[in-house]
This record gives sequence, structure tokens and C-alpha cells, in this order.
Amino acid sequence: MTFTKYYAIAKTNFINSFTYIFDTLASTFFIGIVIFIFIYLWKAIYASNEIIAGFTIVMMLWYLVMTEAIVTSQSRVLQEIGEEVISGNIANYLTKPYNYLLYKYAYTIGRAILRFLLIFIVCGIIVLLMLGPLTIALYVLPFIMITAFLAITLHFLMMASFALFALWFENAQALEFIYSKIVFTIGGMLIPLELFPAWISGISMFLPFSYVAYHPAKLFVAFSFQNFIQVATMQIVWVTVFLLIAIIMYKTYIKRLQINGG
Amino acid sequence: MVAKHFRMQMEYLKIAIHTALEYRTNFLIQVISMFLNDVVWVVFWLIFFTRFQTVNGWNFQDMLVLYTVITIAFGLSGVFFGNRAAIAGMIVEGKLDYYLTLPKNILYHVLVSRVSWFDLGDIVFGVVLALFFVPPIKWPLLLILTILSMIIIVAFGVIVGSLAFFMGNAEDFSKKFFDGLIGFASYPLTIYRGFIRFLVLVIVPAGFVTGIPVMLLKEFNWQMFFLMVGFTVLISVIAIGVFYWGLKRYESGNLMNVRT
Repeated sequence: MTFTKYYAIAKTNFINSFTYIFDTLASTFFIGIVIFIFIYLWKAIYASNEIIAGFTIVMMLWYLVMTEAIVTSQSRVLQEIGEEVISGNIANYLTKPYNYLLYKYAYTIGRAILRFLLIFIVCGIIVLLMLGPLTIALYVLPFIMITAFLAITLHFLMMASFALFALWFENAQALEFIYSKIVFTIGGMLIPLELFPAWISGISMFLPFSYVAYHPAKLFVAFSFQNFIQVATMQIVWVTVFLLIAIIMYKTYIKRLQINGG
Repeated sequence: MVAKHFRMQMEYLKIAIHTALEYRTNFLIQVISMFLNDVVWVVFWLIFFTRFQTVNGWNFQDMLVLYTVITIAFGLSGVFFGNRAAIAGMIVEGKLDYYLTLPKNILYHVLVSRVSWFDLGDIVFGVVLALFFVPPIKWPLLLILTILSMIIIVAFGVIVGSLAFFMGNAEDFSKKFFDGLIGFASYPLTIYRGFIRFLVLVIVPAGFVTGIPVMLLKEFNWQMFFLMVGFTVLISVIAIGVFYWGLKRYESGNLMNVRT
């Protein structure tokens, strides 16, 4: 019973996304442009090398398709929650028979799944046509889906935690900027962490941000069961940590929330 | 006439500065976060070029000049013509009504009536880069090129924003086209060859926003400079033409808007 309502929220928003399909297509179109630029950038780099840090050009681009699909499938979540925190609009949710964080999660996931699939398919087609297919065994796909789903969940929880921080920071858009740049760089969204100097990549590979982008995408282009177990375990650890952080931040926030008339 | 318009823009800036000073922390957060955002990009490219040295003839120094040009040009466009990427939204929501009744040039008024302080962070960052990485003798040229580049950015914003006159709800697409321009302009022009380079230069004029200014700052030649000036004039004329052509089709919304 408890979780059926959240499932209903996710499903409703999944269906709702089809109504605003133009919005979704516009974002997909932009990510398509980014992938297109990346293809040319990496073609220039790969002109003199066949393999860079264990990646062929095909692997590199499919890696980027995966990171882009995971990270950009839930854009603006941080800003949305952050603005509700700053404006106090969260109060509207307090009277409703659900938990705010779970509601937001269900709402976001419903939208993110469609966007993830669309971005993955469109960017995948661009890479397929311009560079070629990735060699991958079909039976690994369910495992990739699990890590991608955990990555999207972790990404959400980190954004929610950051967003609740907006109470002290006052500007949600600025927080979004900072968080997204962290994921872009040391999260490995724009470039595999192997290409960083050893000490940065060493630290980044351990940090939660890389479990949103780098690890699941690396697993996608170079799968092994051992790595899957390791990545999925660490993702679950970080999901738990950020779930706790988000809950604590939320409770602190609600205690400080003042509602002045209506 | 021109002086009156300029005075109006100064008034808008004055109001924006007063608002910024009223909410000082927020203002500083906006400027600093954009500055940090740019720092992250440059550090990213530093790491990239440490690993790969050059990309089809571009090195890290060229990338720094590219970031100098794009941050200053984009920043200026945001501070002085803050609505450059918001026109489609204003058309869709019927917000142009307000401007139609006033005795000022409509397009100009629409563009200048918002100031984006986030973009001030870009300008500060660009100026810092210029101080360190562009020789002082080239500063006048840099100033001219960034102003031309800014005009191209604004004109492109007007063209894609005006799509909403013809297509209905083109708000998201227009924004993404605009982001696409900045996306293309943030990467070396040399990675594209042949037909794609032509597209990046002319259709998405990203090559004119950064590629050609960087080449000119590296090695000046009059021919390319006049090409840049000519293109700026051309795209401005197209932008003005498209906007006013579309404006004839503008139907006001029945939404009641209050400008505060």
C-alpha cells in the first residue's frame, strides 16, 4: 500500500512526459549536438592514436552516450527542489499524505526514464551512424540497466541533498551550477577519469560523483562481472549515505520552516 | 533618438544595480558561482591539453584565448541584452504587449529590459584571462572582436527566439538552439573539416563567435577581419528583419501580465 502511491506518481509523470514530448525532444536535440561535437573532437585526438587509456574511439563515444543519458535525464531537479526550499513552497506538500522526498523521487524517476531512453537512443543512433556499433553481449544489458538505475537514483539523492542546502545558500541556480560542474569533471561525465593525472583520478574514482557517470559508463563499454559487483555495491553504499544525508537535511529544514499565513 | 534609447538602457542598468545591491549576498553568489563555473572549464581543458598537447593545431594557449573571447562576449550580451535568449518565451506568453505600447524601438527595448548578473561573473573571468594571457597590445583588437562576437550572439538569439512567431510553442527549441551555439563555440573550430566547418561557421555561426576571433588574435589579417565585420552586419540585418516580419503575425495572449 505504502509504495503503490509512489508508483502511481511515477507512472503518471511518465505518461505526462509524453504530453510534453517537445520539451523532452528539445533537450535530446541539444545532447545530440554535444555528442556530435564530441565525435569530431575525439576523431581529431584519435587521428594519431588507436587506443587511449584502454578506450578505442568507438568505446569512448559510447561511454559518453551513457554518461550524458544518465546525467542529463533529470536536469533541473536541483533547481526545482532548491527553489521550493527557498520560497517555502515545500509547505504545500506537508499537508499531503506522502513523504516529500519520496514524492519528488517518484516524480523525477517517471520523467527521467523516458528522457534516459530517448537520449540514449538518439545519441546512440548518431554514434552508430558516424562511428559504428559497440561490441557488447546482450546478456549484460540487464546488469547495465541496474547500474544505470542506481546511478540515476544516486544522482537524484545528491541533488536533493545539495538542494536542501539552498536554505543557507539562498540561490538554487548557483548550487546547480556547482554541482553539475563537479559531475561533469571528477564525475567523469565529459572524459573518462583515466585521462586525468593519477592523483585526481585516484580520488575521483572513490568519490560518489563518479558512481553517477564514470563507473556505470565504463562498465557499459568494458563489462566484467567482478566490476559489476563492485560498482553496484559501492552505488548502494553511496545511495544509503545520501539517503541519510537527505533525510537529516530535510528534517532540519522542516524544523526551521516558518509559515506565515497564506 | 539614439541618445534617448541609450539613456533608457542606462536606467534599466541602474535599476538592476540597485536591486543587486539590495540583495548583495545573492548577487555575489551569482557572480562568484559563474566565475567558478568558468574556472572549472579551463581546468578541464588544462588537463585535456596536458594529456593531448594539440588538437588539429590548437593548443591550450588558443583555448585560453577562446575562453577569453566567449566569456566576455557572452557576458556582455547577458548584462546589456539580458533577454537575448528569452524572446520565444515572451512571445508565447504574450509578454510583448507591454513593449508594443511604448514609444521606443520594440526589439531594442525587449533586449535591454533584463540584466543577468550571472553573466557578470563571465565578464570578470574573461577580463582576468585577458590580463594574463592576451598581450596588452592586442587588447583594443580583443575589445572590438568581443563586441562583434556579442552582437552575433544577440542576433542569433533574436533569430531563434523569433521562431516562436511562426511555430507556436518554440520556447524550448529556441533555448536549445541558443545553447547549441554556445556549445559549438566552446570547442576548437579546427576539429571540423569541409562541409561541417562551413555549417559551424555560417548556419550555427559559432565559428564567428569564437573561431575567427581567436585566429585574428593569433595572426591578424584584414581580409578575415572584414569578413567578421560583414558577417556581423549581415546577421544583425537578418535578425531585425525576421523579428519584425514575425511581429506582424504576433497575437497577444489573454494572459494578464504584471511587470514588477
